[in-house]
Amino acid sequence: MSPARRARSWGSAPVALARLDPDGRVLDANETFLSWAGTAAERVAGRRLGDLLTVGGRIYWETHIGPMLALQGRVDEVAVELRTGADPLPVLLSAARRTGEDPGLDVAMFASRGRIRFERDLLAARTAAERSAERLRWVQEATAALARAAGVGGVTDALVQAVCANPAVASVELVAPGAAVPGGTAPGDDRTVVPVVGESRSHGLLVVTSHGRPGDEPLDLDALVTIARQGAIAFDRAALHEQSVSVAHELQHAMLTQRLPRRPDLEVAAEYRPAVSGLEVGGDWYDAFALDDATVAVAVGDVVGHGLHAATAMGQLRTATQALARPGLGPATLLSLVDDFVVRRDVGFAATLVYAELDTRTATLTYACAGHLPPLRVRADGGAEYLWSGRSGPLGVPSVRGPRTQGTVRLDPGDLVLLYTDGVVERRDRSLLEGLDRLAQVAGRGERDREGDLIEHVFDVEANQRDDACVLHLAWHGTAAARTEAPLRTPPPAGVEWSA
Amino acid sequence: MVLAHGFGCDQSMWRLVAPAFEATHQVVLFDHAGAGGADPAAYDDERHSTLDGYADDVVGLLDELSLGPVVFVGHSVSATIALLAAARRPDLFDRLVLVGPSPRYVDDDGYRGGFSVEEIEELLATMDGNYLGWSATVAPMIMGTPDRPELGDELTASFCRTDPRVARRFARTTFLSDNRADLAAVRTPSLVVQCREDVIAPVEVGRYVHEHLAGSRFAVIDAVGHCPNLSAPDALVAAMREYLAP
Repeated sequence: MSPARRARSWGSAPVALARLDPDGRVLDANETFLSWAGTAAERVAGRRLGDLLTVGGRIYWETHIGPMLALQGRVDEVAVELRTGADPLPVLLSAARRTGEDPGLDVAMFASRGRIRFERDLLAARTAAERSAERLRWVQEATAALARAAGVGGVTDALVQAVCANPAVASVELVAPGAAVPGGTAPGDDRTVVPVVGESRSHGLLVVTSHGRPGDEPLDLDALVTIARQGAIAFDRAALHEQSVSVAHELQHAMLTQRLPRRPDLEVAAEYRPAVSGLEVGGDWYDAFALDDATVAVAVGDVVGHGLHAATAMGQLRTATQALARPGLGPATLLSLVDDFVVRRDVGFAATLVYAELDTRTATLTYACAGHLPPLRVRADGGAEYLWSGRSGPLGVPSVRGPRTQGTVRLDPGDLVLLYTDGVVERRDRSLLEGLDRLAQVAGRGERDREGDLIEHVFDVEANQRDDACVLHLAWHGTAAARTEAPLRTPPPAGVEWSA
Repeated sequence: MVLAHGFGCDQSMWRLVAPAFEATHQVVLFDHAGAGGADPAAYDDERHSTLDGYADDVVGLLDELSLGPVVFVGHSVSATIALLAAARRPDLFDRLVLVGPSPRYVDDDGYRGGFSVEEIEELLATMDGNYLGWSATVAPMIMGTPDRPELGDELTASFCRTDPRVARRFARTTFLSDNRADLAAVRTPSLVVQCREDVIAPVEVGRYVHEHLAGSRFAVIDAVGHCPNLSAPDALVAAMREYLAP
């Protein structure tokens, strides 16, 4: 091929070709180059190639392409855009260093609208997918946290934490409606203010402060607005809930014993712990009263269900038990009287109840469980055992197994008896038997909380937060009289034991 | 002498400059977190979303090396990183050489950084676009370079290969930072080396740095483009030698 022919081929090649000096200035450019750049040869000669690219390409040339050419000698298929008279032209650029007598750079670009568009669509789709995946993850995690949150306080915490989980966020504050927004309401560069508006009212303003670090991607506002909306729904739900719950709590609180019997030879303490706020009130209760001068009765019960209905049933059962109890009846008979009450009045069906009477003259505890968990006796030396006698079915449940039974145990001075509900021992993550073992260990070891309180300790260590729970603790100190030998009651009549 | 590469590639950028000082200095080269051969685990989204994070890395490196006060040569964004580190721990630095520095790339009222925010976004788009083209460029296509035998087999295809996500974050951190206020805190004697034509760090920006940096000298070298360490190594070495001469 003759030099002239070669020169003509170079000139008319279907790709843009240019020869540059070592500084990157255009020495010569072919027709295709000029036609694409939309300019004449004179306008291009002597200009640096970077000037003929868009700004992104220019910076890229200076920071990446140039160095690579200097060190590797060539680059291939770099996607940049050539400035034209109209829209920039996407091109793929290859370049090589030219050595020898006439050092410099040789550059070739071919137009790749189609290919570039395809690649950029892929890239855009991938980026959109990544952004979308990140957005989705942020919103989903926020939604899950809000769904788990209980109570208005819980929702506030969950909302603030969920927004803070975004790494670009430095701090989040929920400003109550009507309260002043710290720093004013005009959003600055680093602050975004999002209203949290429920069905019928505002729950405040979410003030989100970003770190404002240069390396962070801008905050996804759509996601933030969605999360705020989820928060508003959660607030509406929690507020509604709290309203109905507080009525039931008040009722229940009013009904539980305020005054427990006080005697020198024994001590009764009890506590009712409602479930974590936001959940419905349960039907647990306790009671302790003197039957006569020498006998103290204690009871713990658990009505089926939650809410106002359970609370009122609980109140009625508690009153009935106390009203029906009489010296000389005994727990088994009392339970069957309560059965009658339950059936006749149609209240408290299938509730469970443990009822016990302590005769302080003989230090004898007589007890019966209507479907309720067994009392725990803890000896002074730390030994703990459950009292499994005297078991029969829940209240009001018809049965063919015969009359209710009761059990007896002689207490020693220093013994402790615990009556409790299943909220104390039942947990989703372990079996009931494990729970009973744990309670026995805790009580047996005499573990106390900082204030020396066993009950508090039991609650803190053992209680299931999602259920309400009740513990009654009867400590027998004993008297000289009680220590004299008194015959134990005869064993309970033979009968099939009811299972819990 | 510790040499820090700027935005774009890695320590290979000093290939033509470092040997000139080996006789007179203990020369240390390193890759920033997220660049070159640095351990990928060293890059942390939070730490490295500001230049302060990189400055912390430099301070940590110098403390560990225990070389006493060093001559620190920072190119491009590493000039800013060097300034931040020197303000924090002047005891680690004897002198600074700032090659093509810019304390802020985006124009502001009364300040010409050289770029608008839109143009930086365009850079990010270009970088994103070249992720797909990257694999072709980085694939081993090392041609013979008979007139540069020193480059030979040492070159690996890792040059300029960066995780695209990290590269994008570094670009944002570099080009969207504003460190003009930090110049006042630096007392270390410095040399500002300015290329006579540099679109990334134009002459007026270099002059701005010199005017706001106490105890600095200003040298314009006969070089075109932003990387004189590769395009005009002799001129850069000469300017540095003159400055460092006792």
